[in-house]
Amino acid sequence: MKTEADYYALFDAYRAGGLADAERTALEHRLAADPALAQRLQEFEELTGTLTAYGRRQALRQRLAAIHSDMVSEQTPRLDLAKVAEQDERGEQFATGQAPRPTLRISRTEQKLRAFWQGHRATMMVAAAVAVLAVFTTLLGLEMYRTSQQTTSSRYGYTMLRREVERIKRDQRSMNRAITQIDAAAPTERVNPGKFSGTGFALTADGYLVTSYHVIQGADSLLIENRARQRFRAEPVFTDIAHDLAILQITDKDFTGFGRLPYAFKRGQSELGEKVYTLGYPREDLVFNDGSLSARSGFEGDTGFYQVSIPVNPGNSGGPLLDDRGNLIGVVSGRQMDVQSAAFATKSSYLMRLVDSLSAAGAGRPYNLPRYNQFGGTTRPQQIRKLQDYVFVVKVYE
Amino acid sequence: MGKGQPSYTDEEFVAAIRRDDDRALAQLYRLHFPMISHYVLQNSGTDDEAKDVYQEGVMVFYEKVREGSLELNCQIKTYLYAVCRRLWLKRLAEKTRFSGRLDDHEPFLETGAEADLERAEEKERQLGTMAQALDLVGEPCRSLLEGFYLLDKSMQQLTDEFGYTNADNAKNQKYKCLVRLKKLFFNQYQESA
Repeated sequence: MKTEADYYALFDAYRAGGLADAERTALEHRLAADPALAQRLQEFEELTGTLTAYGRRQALRQRLAAIHSDMVSEQTPRLDLAKVAEQDERGEQFATGQAPRPTLRISRTEQKLRAFWQGHRATMMVAAAVAVLAVFTTLLGLEMYRTSQQTTSSRYGYTMLRREVERIKRDQRSMNRAITQIDAAAPTERVNPGKFSGTGFALTADGYLVTSYHVIQGADSLLIENRARQRFRAEPVFTDIAHDLAILQITDKDFTGFGRLPYAFKRGQSELGEKVYTLGYPREDLVFNDGSLSARSGFEGDTGFYQVSIPVNPGNSGGPLLDDRGNLIGVVSGRQMDVQSAAFATKSSYLMRLVDSLSAAGAGRPYNLPRYNQFGGTTRPQQIRKLQDYVFVVKVYE
Repeated sequence: MGKGQPSYTDEEFVAAIRRDDDRALAQLYRLHFPMISHYVLQNSGTDDEAKDVYQEGVMVFYEKVREGSLELNCQIKTYLYAVCRRLWLKRLAEKTRFSGRLDDHEPFLETGAEADLERAEEKERQLGTMAQALDLVGEPCRSLLEGFYLLDKSMQQLTDEFGYTNADNAKNQKYKCLVRLKKLFFNQYQESA
């Protein structure tokens, strides 16, 4: 019985052609008859074939590596040669007629940096893009957040002047009062100062009032309070958001009327530099302020408004703006925070236009506007004494 | 390379390499290396990686030429570019940090290089298994087989080197080693398949 190694010797000789003819034909017969043997031969051939291929591959790899290192080493000494040539340049340039060869020299750090850049270019670009995006989203997001936080009453430094009543303080006070009265009978009067307050003034003698729209914005109910602390219930009849105007009507049954109004409404525009003043309730008491008409347009060039140099405060909103002769020329609306004493008032011409269109529509009671101005020739304190009965606190409940 | 070497046309290259002309191979190697090196460096590779990929590509080309089975229907340059491009793609996929397009600067055509490469990969696997099997077969079998098959030493040389009494002994030893290698090789080859 032959071992596998013996067979291999046989195959080896067979492939090398080292077998005698008789032996070869015998082997070929056996191979044809015995598939196991044929299989064995095939495996032997695959094995030796792979081995030789492996050998060749190794040799080729070495050759290529040699070529490569040849190529690399060829490039470096040439740089050296160039350097030498550079040194001898002066002497030889004329002799050989060769132009000096410029060489690009890159420092080791720069080489490393270049390799790094080559390798990570894409990643770094993505990172940079993400960073830029993140920065801009953050900035935009912050900006959007800030604008959404800003209420309508104070966008871009424009402040509307309705007064937020110090409710807590008042609550405290009323609570104290309730405690002291606890032994007495039921409290006679419930104090509810309301959430906001502004100023309003009479439009007609029979119960129409004017105030700013933003004073009554979001109101559930409105109370009008005059100087004598008399209160009337009122309802908005019409509002003009664009010009910040609201017309109210007193709905109380026992309301008889304001009496004849001392001022008239100016239908035209007033001149620059005109002396103007206003009355209002920025606090519990009536407050007078004056100044001049400083521009015939309002915030950001809005032509529906005047700019006046009156120091106004929250609570002044909706107050009347009168000129020296006692003509009502506007309705105080707001002020600009970042500008010294720049207040804005809706022009009376817009108010008139609004009233005209309302009477033309014929809704509600007719509007009997005062025709004549009773202030002619009177001094300011006299005007104010008459005027003060027609200026009211507008209290807003939400 | 400015050494006054003859510059070959593509046909002459193929013919010269078929004759196993060393200078033609070196010339070819130098001619196209910058292209592949540029390509690999452009696509987040290093100098060493460029060298490896290029050498592998040249090997595929060389072996095809030597086998006489090369059907070149395009320039050698394009063929090499296609092969190396594929190889580099594979490498990048293995590195797994790659996603996206490669930026090509040479026209990339269907050259048949893809199919050649698949066969080359199969062969690569076989040769890899052989390398492993040779590692496992142990001394002195490894040196003996390597001496005979890889370094083309004659039986007589090996007999002297390994101190066998005569060439027949050495031969017997060689066959025994072959049997061992065969077992290792086919086992591993089937495992890895």
